[in-house]
Parts: sequence; structure tokens; C-alpha cells
Amino acid sequence: MLVQLLVTGLALGSMYGLVALGYHITWVTSRTMNFAQGTAVMAGAVVAYGCHVGLGWPLLPSLAVTLAALAAYGIAIERIAVYPFFRTASPAWLLSTIACGIIAENTAMLLFGKDARAFPSALTQQPILVGGAGFYPQELLIPVVGLCLVAGVQYFYHRTSYGKQLKAVAWNAEAASLMGIHIPRAVMAAYALSAVLAAVAGVLLAPILNVAATMGTIIGLKAFAVAIIGGLESAPGIIVAGLAYGLVESLVAGYLSTGAREIVGFALVILVLIIRPWGLLGSRPTRRV
Amino acid sequence: MRRIGWIILAAAVFGLPLATANTYYLYVGASVGLLTIVTAGLNILTGFTGQISLGHAGFCAIGAYLAAILTVGAGLHPAAAALAAVAGAAAVGVVVAGAALRVSGPYLAMVTIAFGIIVEGVLVEWVGLTGGPGGIFDIPKPTLAQGYLIICAVAACALWLVRNLRASPWGRAFLAVRSSEVAAESLGLSAYFVRIVAFTISAGFAGASGALFAFLNGYISPDSFGLQTSILYLLALLFGGVGTVAGPLAGSLVLTVLPELLTSLVDYRLILYGLLLLTSIYWLPAGLVGALAGRRAAGFAAAPAPPAAAPSDAPAAEGQPGALLEVAGVGIAFGGVAALAEVSVQVPATGIHAIIGPNGAGKTTLLNILSGFYSPGSGTVRLGREAVSGRPPYAVARLGIARTFQTAQLFGDLTVAENVAVGIAGRRLGNVLGAMLGAPAVRRRERRLAEESGALLAAAGLAEWADRPADALPAGSRRRLEIVRALATRPTLLLLDEPAAGLGPTEIRELIAELSALRDHGGPAIILVEHHMDLVMAISDRITVLDYGRVIAEGSPGEVRRHPGVIEAYLGAAG
Repeated sequence: MLVQLLVTGLALGSMYGLVALGYHITWVTSRTMNFAQGTAVMAGAVVAYGCHVGLGWPLLPSLAVTLAALAAYGIAIERIAVYPFFRTASPAWLLSTIACGIIAENTAMLLFGKDARAFPSALTQQPILVGGAGFYPQELLIPVVGLCLVAGVQYFYHRTSYGKQLKAVAWNAEAASLMGIHIPRAVMAAYALSAVLAAVAGVLLAPILNVAATMGTIIGLKAFAVAIIGGLESAPGIIVAGLAYGLVESLVAGYLSTGAREIVGFALVILVLIIRPWGLLGSRPTRRV
Repeated sequence: MRRIGWIILAAAVFGLPLATANTYYLYVGASVGLLTIVTAGLNILTGFTGQISLGHAGFCAIGAYLAAILTVGAGLHPAAAALAAVAGAAAVGVVVAGAALRVSGPYLAMVTIAFGIIVEGVLVEWVGLTGGPGGIFDIPKPTLAQGYLIICAVAACALWLVRNLRASPWGRAFLAVRSSEVAAESLGLSAYFVRIVAFTISAGFAGASGALFAFLNGYISPDSFGLQTSILYLLALLFGGVGTVAGPLAGSLVLTVLPELLTSLVDYRLILYGLLLLTSIYWLPAGLVGALAGRRAAGFAAAPAPPAAAPSDAPAAEGQPGALLEVAGVGIAFGGVAALAEVSVQVPATGIHAIIGPNGAGKTTLLNILSGFYSPGSGTVRLGREAVSGRPPYAVARLGIARTFQTAQLFGDLTVAENVAVGIAGRRLGNVLGAMLGAPAVRRRERRLAEESGALLAAAGLAEWADRPADALPAGSRRRLEIVRALATRPTLLLLDEPAAGLGPTEIRELIAELSALRDHGGPAIILVEHHMDLVMAISDRITVLDYGRVIAEGSPGEVRRHPGVIEAYLGAAG
């Protein structure tokens, strides 16, 4: 029981971390984010379903099309909902991204229908038995892929030239701009990457959670919680927070009740913020006078 | 004109039950009223203080369930239950605000979202009290027409309360905190406390709306109070016009009626709804009301100034023999780099004390320590017998230290007269309930504040600007207003951070005359951080020179001018 809960928790937690990393990436480059990031998770799952199941394409081309489509989705969100309000003090980007989310979710509902549909896993449906506990291979695959991607993103930001440029924008947009970095393009890239990460999470979770137009909302929300308690500015904090959130959630659901899961999870979020207002590994911004 | 509009609206609203007995219209009308009550409250939080909540459906739920449980379970009269619901929601609001407002931006949004989800979860899980997912039935309810009228009356009342609040010291404090937190704190306002009050009031409004919702329907369940509902509140407010009095009404009307009109489109309904929101954010950034009304009317018109009011009514220094301000061995480091080390300065209760030094010498850092924005790593700062170091900025301001900033920090949304009124009132905001009800004592005080600020502005030559938004002031006058506002707090010590920056020669001569007049007429002691040497040498009684965070010289202007260390610091080592 315990081992099973831990595996489930790590699987979900790594996905929360992955989606939360999407919030982090756009926040540091633009001080904005897609409040409807959950719709990107959903869109990833829905597009993959459409290609793989609906059109009967093989898995790999379906995946390629999905990722390309979601990169375009991220860019569209940035152009439509964020760019007009870029670096303004108003919360307009928050509302415009929510509005885009409403449109995206209901368009998906229109095209895809209201019912949840099963997504066949490419892996065997036969549980692997380890010491009396059974695991679906998909559950084991998720955290591995998730953590590899996180590592990949970190590598991109810290080791590649373009990644370093994006990081420079995060540190000081004005200076970065003077160094010849094209800021609007950097922000677009951040939004594209953010949506792609969410789409990967959507595709990986689809065989477990089933595909539905409304599947993204709660994942997006929990990922937001993870991004906040980890510290929006801190990628490592977000990964730790994601795994921790997944584990806590899984253990509470297993030992208490599924109903208590959300209550305990979000109560912990508030508690963490009371103790560490800028997140687990975030640092308090210095006050400018 | 505006008043006639409101009267016609009221006649239409309250005449509706006479014109039609159609229950559908009345129910939609009542729903508009309920949404108006919540958004009017949210307007105080979001429109005035600029903080966002995505959890107000939680307060609505608390109000609704308290009202239902108290009437169904405890047999209380609905009116008493409704009042208890408001009090209960406000009480929870204080607690949530205490936790939530320590953070801002997305972090605040998260805390409020989490609160809403927890409330929803508890409603579902605590079956014994709340009836679980099924909710509570058979809540005593009035007839629909009665319910409609009561809700509309409460909604009108809510708008009126918010209007009164805006035109009170509290309303100005809310806007001041949003406009410039540091400036508000430098005038003695605790931004945290002010925001908690705003949050609490808005929670109370949401509680009232929830209680009325329970009585209107006779049935409640957790479904009505999810995150989507909280988002709807915020959208209605922004759509209508944030910070305007009528905005909540307009937004509530459109966002309630529009989905009803679109019901025939079934599947496309929510897509259109989203598109409409998106376009409205583009085309109506100030909301419906903001777009129609242009700029918001001023909180109060400055009263004509009584002619002979002297501006220098700051309390005369009490002739203390020792130093007013004593800075002893102060040091501070940022990231391991010492910005100040072993700085000791004594400032007497009168006169002008300048602090000069090359760029990066630590002058502004010292001012920030003196005004409480930085806490020194070592050493102490005392004003008279009171310790300054270790206190937050608003507490330092309350000790009698006022300041200006390198770039003038005005409250741009407030009028020039209101800016001064924030300084005069300082922390003394009065009773918030009295302010909402527009109590006579509050109105009398408003008139006094208007007179006083008018007099101060007249003396400073800014009278013609009194009713203009502070953002409209030209650069030179901005700084002057900031000094007037700081003096309005009647400080014993005034800190000026580069008041001459960006001024032309004529304006500098005026500044010299004004500061000398202030000193000669019993004004506060002044600490002046300045680069402009003509100004410093002309009016300073004493000068302290900082270089690399240390005091390298101190003395009269003449002494400092000849000091070899000072010459070296400014001109580089000579040979």
C-alpha cells in the first residue's frame, strides 16, 4: 500500500512540478504567466488523442504534432493575452489569460464532447508486481520522463547560449535588452516552452486520468500552488515542492480520504506561505526605496 | 445630472415588481443585486487598495451557510442570522487577511484561491453541519418580490457605503497604499493594516451577499461557491470599472444578464462569454463606467483657503538642550558589501544639516535607515528618547520623522489636495464604520481636512492645482507637493532626499528661500541629502561628509569646504 502510494505520489508530483515549471519560466522572463496553464495540459492530451486515437496515427508523429501545436498555442496566448499588457502594473494579463482559458476549454468541449475518454497507453497494461504491490508501467514512466525533462530544461537555461540569454532577461530585462537580446521574442519562446511542458504532462497523464475538456483545471491549479510554495523564482524549489505535494496528496488520499486531499493540500500551501512568504527556496525581494 | 441618473435608476429598479410579476425577471434582477453587493465590497479591496482576491466565493459561502444554519438549525430570525453571517464572514476575513496580505501579487492570489478551495472542501466533507454535497434545504424564504426588493435595497446601500468610504480618510489611505506603499508608510500608515481593513470589509460584503442568496433560493449547496464564482466576481468588477462607484453595478448587470441572453446558443455560450471578456479587457481597460465617465471625481473639493493661515504651524522645537537625532555607530551591509560603517551623527532640534558625499557614499542608505526602511546591522538611531532603529517605517513616521524621496512619490490617483490630506490625517483614520455611514463627525472632520490642506497648498503656491490629480503636476511642483505633504504630518525632523534634483536655477533659488523660511519660522529640523553644492553651502548650518560609507568630515560649510579629505574625495587624490 505505502509503496504504491509513494509511486503514485511521485508520478503526479513530478507532473505538477513540470507544469509548475511552465509558470516559473514565463514569470522570470516577463513577470506574467498564463493563469489558464491548465488548458495547455488539457490541449496536449486532447490533440494527442485526436491524432493517435481519432486519426489513428502512430504515437511518435502524434507526439510531434502535439508538441508543435502546443508551442503554437503558447505563442498565441502570449500574443493575444499577455503581450498587450506586458510590464504594465495592471492585472489585465491575469484576466485576459483566464478569458483565453475559458475560450480554449469550451472550444475543446465543443470539438471533443463532454465525456472523458480513455487514452491507450503505449506501454503494457499488465501491472508489474514488485513485493506484493502492482505498478502500471505508465506510473513508473511518468516521474522518469518528468525529471529528465526538468533536467533538460535546467541544462538549457544554464548551459546553452540561448538559455543563458533567456536567463539574462530574467535577471535584468533592461540590461539584457541593451546587450542585444530581443525581449519580445524571448517572452514568446518562454510561453511556447511553458505550453510544451504542460502538453507533455497532459500526454503522460492521459492514460491514467482519461482525456476530458475539463481535465486541466485542477492540474493547473495544483501546479500553480506548487510554483508558489516552491518559490516562483526558484526552479529547484518548484521541483521539490511538486514532488512533496504529490506525495502528501497521495498519502492523504490513501490513509485519510480523497475528500480530505484538497483540504489538506491547500491548507499546507497557506501554512508554507505563512512561514516562508516567498516560497520554500525563493528569496525575499529587497525593498526598493 | 449624476444624481438624476441615480434617481431614475432607483425608480426603475424598485418599480420593476409593480410592472411585472414575471418571476424570471425578478430572479435575474435579484441575482444582479447579489453580484453587485459582492463586487462593491471587492471594489474596496481590488479597486482601492489594488489587491486581488480569487477566494471571495469562500466568504459568500460562509455567509450563506451561517445564515442557513442559524435559521434552520438554531431557529434565529432571518435578519439576525444575516447580521451574524456578515460578522462571521468579516471575522474569517480578518484571519485570512492576516495570512494572505503578508504576500502580494501571484502569492496573494494563491492564498485566496487556497482559502476558497478549503472552504468548498469543508462544505462537502462536514456533512453533519453543512449537509455535504446535497447542501441545506428549506431555508425560510420571503416571496420573490420581497426578496428582490430587499436585495436591491441592500445593494443600493452597499454602493452608498462604498461611496462614503472612498470620500473619507480611509478611502484616501486605501488609494495611497496602492499608489505608493513607501510614501504611505513614510506618512505613518501601515500598509499591511490598511489592507487588512479593506480585505475584512470586502469579506463582510461577500458574507451579506451569501446570506441573501440563501434566503432568496431557500436552498444552498457547495456548487454555488467554487473558484469559477470567485473569478466571476473579479471579472464583473473589472468589466464594470474597477475603483469607480457604479462599476460594480454595471459589471454585475452585464455579466448576469448577458449569459441569460445567450442561453439559446447553448454550446457556443461560454466561448462567446470568453471572447467578450477578452475584447472588453482590450477596449475597456477602465471598465464600462470608467470608459463612460472619464476620470473619477475628486474625493473632496479643496475649500477656499482662509487668507492668513501660516503654513509654519509645525510644533516649535521644544528647545531640547541635547541632540534631537542621535546616530551612533551605524553600519549596514548588503550582500557582504558594507554600505555604511561606524556612522555617527548628531542633529540638533533646529536648523539644516546636510549630508553630502560622492555617488555611492551611502547617503540615501543613511536616510533609509533614519526613516525605518532599512534596519541597521549595527549601531543605534535615537530620536529624543525613542529608539528609531528596529521600527518599521510607519512607526518611525509616527515618532515625528517625515521624508521625501529621490523621485517624488506622489499618490497619482488622488488629487493634490487629497495628497496633503493623507499627510495631515496620517495614522488618525477614525472609525471605519462611521466613515462608511458618512457620520456627521466624519463629515465635519472632512471639511476641516479640506480647509487645512487648502491652506497648506495656498501657502505653497499650489492652490490652483488643488483639485487636479497629482499625476498632472509638472515636475518642479511634484517635489514641492511632496514636501508640503511631509510637513503636513507636523514632523520634528524632515528628511529631504535630493530635493534639487532636476530643478532649474530659478527653482533652486526658490527652494533655498523656502527652506530658509521654514528654518527661520520654527519649522522642523531638516536633514538634507543633496548634490547641488550651491544649495548646500547656502543654507546648511552643518554638513556631514560621507565617503565609502564612512564619515570623513563634519563641520560648518566653511570648514567642510576647506577640509583636505573632502577635496580629495570629490576631486580625487591630488598628487
